[in-house]
Amino acid sequence: MDKLKAKLIELFQSGEITLAIGYKQGTRGPRPFFCRSASDVEQMIFSNDYQPNLAVYLTKKEVVKDEKVAIVCTISALRSIAYLARENQIGQSQYKIIHLSPNDELMIFRSPWDIDPYIEEIPSTPSEDDRRVIEMLDAMTSEERWAWWAAQFSKCIKCYACRAACPMCYCTRCIVDNNRPQWIDPWASPLSNMEWQINRVMHLAGRCVGCGACGAACPEGIPVHLLNRKILDNIEENFGITAGLAPREGAVLNTFKPDDKENFIK
Amino acid sequence: MSKIGVFVCHCGENIGGTVDCEKVAQEAAKIPGVEVSTDYKYMCSDPGQTIIKNAIKEKGLDGVVVAACSPRMHESTFRAACAEACLNPYMCEIANIREHCSWVHEKGEATTQKALDLVRMQVEKVKKDLPLSTIKVPVTKKALVIGGGIAGIQAALDIANAGHKVILVEKEPSIGGHMAQLSETFPTLDCSQCILTPRMVEVAQHPNITLYTYAEVEGLEGFIGNFTARIRLKARSVDLEKCTGCGMCTTKCPTKKVPSEFNALMGLRTAIYVPSPQSVPNKPTIDKEHCVYYKTGKCKLCEKVCPTGAITFDAPDEIITEEVGAVVVCTGFDVAPTSEFSEYGYGRYKDVITGLQFERLASASGPTMGEIRRPSDGTVPKKIVFIACAGSRDAAKGRPYCSKICCMYTAKHAMLYQHKVHDGESYVFYMDIRAGGKNYDEFVRRAIEEDGVNYIRGRVARVYERDGKLIVKGVDTLLGGEQVEIEADMVVLATAGVANKGAEDLAQKLHISYDKYNFFAEAHPKLKPVETNTAGIFLAGACQSPKDIPDTVAAASGAAVKVAALFSKDQLLREPVVAVVNRMPPPVFSTCVGCSLCVDICPYSAITMENIKDRAGNVIKTVASINPGLCQGCGTCVAFCRSKSIDLQGFSNEEMYSSVMAALHE
Ligand SMILES: Cc1cc2nc3c(=O)[nH]c(=O)nc-3n(C[C@H](O)[C@H](O)[C@H](O)COP(=O)(O)OP(=O)(O)OC[C@H]3O[C@@H](n4cnc5c(N)ncnc54)[C@H](O)[C@@H]3O)c2cc1C
Ligand code: SF4
Ligand code: SF4
Repeated sequence: MDKLKAKLIELFQSGEITLAIGYKQGTRGPRPFFCRSASDVEQMIFSNDYQPNLAVYLTKKEVVKDEKVAIVCTISALRSIAYLARENQIGQSQYKIIHLSPNDELMIFRSPWDIDPYIEEIPSTPSEDDRRVIEMLDAMTSEERWAWWAAQFSKCIKCYACRAACPMCYCTRCIVDNNRPQWIDPWASPLSNMEWQINRVMHLAGRCVGCGACGAACPEGIPVHLLNRKILDNIEENFGITAGLAPREGAVLNTFKPDDKENFIK
Repeated sequence: MSKIGVFVCHCGENIGGTVDCEKVAQEAAKIPGVEVSTDYKYMCSDPGQTIIKNAIKEKGLDGVVVAACSPRMHESTFRAACAEACLNPYMCEIANIREHCSWVHEKGEATTQKALDLVRMQVEKVKKDLPLSTIKVPVTKKALVIGGGIAGIQAALDIANAGHKVILVEKEPSIGGHMAQLSETFPTLDCSQCILTPRMVEVAQHPNITLYTYAEVEGLEGFIGNFTARIRLKARSVDLEKCTGCGMCTTKCPTKKVPSEFNALMGLRTAIYVPSPQSVPNKPTIDKEHCVYYKTGKCKLCEKVCPTGAITFDAPDEIITEEVGAVVVCTGFDVAPTSEFSEYGYGRYKDVITGLQFERLASASGPTMGEIRRPSDGTVPKKIVFIACAGSRDAAKGRPYCSKICCMYTAKHAMLYQHKVHDGESYVFYMDIRAGGKNYDEFVRRAIEEDGVNYIRGRVARVYERDGKLIVKGVDTLLGGEQVEIEADMVVLATAGVANKGAEDLAQKLHISYDKYNFFAEAHPKLKPVETNTAGIFLAGACQSPKDIPDTVAAASGAAVKVAALFSKDQLLREPVVAVVNRMPPPVFSTCVGCSLCVDICPYSAITMENIKDRAGNVIKTVASINPGLCQGCGTCVAFCRSKSIDLQGFSNEEMYSSVMAALHE
């Protein structure tokens, strides 16, 4: 941690950065911290388990425009940055990508493309609790599962906090904002809530890194991230792509390999 | 508010017998926005079309729904009628109440209700429809013909004679293909070379044809009317400009024992060689694999004797690009080698040969000057056995198909043998005689009845060597499966016609489809036999399936006409059913976020990323952009784009949504 702070102070003093995005203590745990001077670096805290996923800010022009930015990344945020680069959302050496590894080593990635070899070694895995819920859901019949999720989504108030928390939900016009046609009713209702979540999850299929920020952001406590996690599992089973690793040959669900399994075509 | 006309067709009894068309028209009149609604016995007839045209003019309609047969039948008819009445043709939609309704349901209330629902869906769609105009793409009036066999020669000449430029690419040092190797041709027994060589010469001299021999197509990009081909001109180590074709070099070359491909590996040639005396161009090529200089760095005898200094050792291959508007693929076929057949000695017996090798023996320009002699000892065979269907129609060998030409050329071979060896005996083992074609059956009858060829219906189980003879063991199924054993001097296998070695590779370079035997696939087996599934690329000849010369030439002329028709216009008109990435005024420019994920999923590679720049040239935004020439309107990208930034013209998200909603909440 001291190494991280020292580095940030050095970067501020040399003028290499004007903004460091990291975490500080909030009333209910860590919260995003937009640090603008060397003297404020002291407040910075860090752990690889922290939510939210700070990579979400890198595609927000209002935050990063005209700034020289350093971002302090959890492993999840690193994964997201690798994907964002694949999808042309961030440039070669636009940001200083700083990371403190679980064994306390300070790492600075020159380019998002350098992240791969590091995260390749660390699979994205769900927490014990999440794994238990997924196993419980897997054991259900599809009717039971539908009923379980329908009950969960009946709580949804369409605040879109899950979308706002997701680094990969960077579209400037989301499908729910589209009103010609109005694919999904804008108000909260059992049907439209379900439609929204199915769309959200499918739009992230093959792109989600499994950070869980969406579930953590939900004020109603709906574990929406488990749907994404299940798709990560499916992709791993069917295409052998390590969860959260951005494949170099192109996104897993929009490229074709002759030896892809086709056992889902019945 | 829209003013829509609904026109319900009875199609005689086809629709009217099942659907209450009058009621559909009356009910449709109540849909908001419908200005007129009427029914008529045959809407596609002249009076029917006049009803539509008059309604458009009199009521000032801005949309038309014709409830009739499938849009595949008459969409273009009704759209043309609308255009005549000055309504944008794409504001006309068809509700298919025949194939989708009257033909598949019983007469009754529910069927009429369904017809009305189908009309309602199209009325809602028309309300959202936008006027469209056809897309114009320029056409480069130059054709690329790949393969210089008789198919390629014919196609090139026909296109060139229609007044268009042609690039003919042949991978061997000479054009001519298999036909140049044939002796005489069924069913007329005219000499193959005599009818082919004049055309080969015509190709070389035609002002509209550029011939590249010893060349291969490396890649093809672009789309109909606008292809760019990359062609590799393989270094032949001889400057064709300087070479006069005097032939000094070939007499002096010390490497004299290279099996000659032209003679189907039965004769020999030198390392610097001209495939045959009739070759076009009649100038040599150095075969680097066998040339002493290329192997050891020493020799260059040919360079010393060449009077014009035409030898260019170590010259590199050259890659050129050509812009063309259409491509005709004529790369032909090959025959399976004898080594494929374990039961006939795996190619170990010198006197078991292929039909193609027999052609060379029978040819006056062949290694034996047209005398039938055994490759092993040069004696004239007194007993010869021809085995038809060697490897064809044999599911166990992986080729269930009939090679089509073998029955005919086997009859020809037996006949030629009888003409040349008067005291010889010939046998043909066959499964069936397939001699469909003008004068074909007569030809086979002649072999049997006049030339005394013995036809035995049955398979040959084995051929093996005993005391310099080939023992052929088979059965005669017409004699109740009786065993037959013939002590032959020579055996000729009519081996299966197969796809060329490089066929699969070429198909992938050209983005055309091929079947599981690597023969190229036509767009429709009956109605589009010379088209491929890729617009602007045509097929002719044996690269599609084994074919004889008449079929090959007919296909080549057919493909040439398609090319000429394509070149008859300066611009191609295409239906505007293509995908478009939205564009809007600054500062948004487009709702596309530039994720570029759609680029990979387009099966036609129609999508690229485009930079939107400000006046100073700085990139403001990078967004997807679709080439309307390449887009086939499949809609994959539309479904894929998360931000719904892509729309398929004529089937936009809004149009389809309205239509589906109309079906759901009526
Ligand atoms: C033993 C035998 C006897 C026959 N006898 C008769 C007969 O008597 N009467 C009759 O009507 N038919 C006969 N045929 C059939 C006849 O040979 C074919 O109909 C004819 O050759 C087909 O012509 P083509 O141009 O399609 O193919 P081909 O003759 O095979 O020519 C294809 C050409 O394309 C070239 N090529 C291949 N790949 C490429 C590439 N990638 N790039 C550039 N060039 C390429 C080849 O080098 C070749 O020059 C006989 C066939 C055989 C095997
Ligand atoms: S059109 Fe859609 S899929 Fe394609 S780059 Fe734009 S946002 Fe991505
Ligand atoms: S509609 Fe099909 S062909 Fe056209 S750009 Fe989209 S994916 Fe490509």
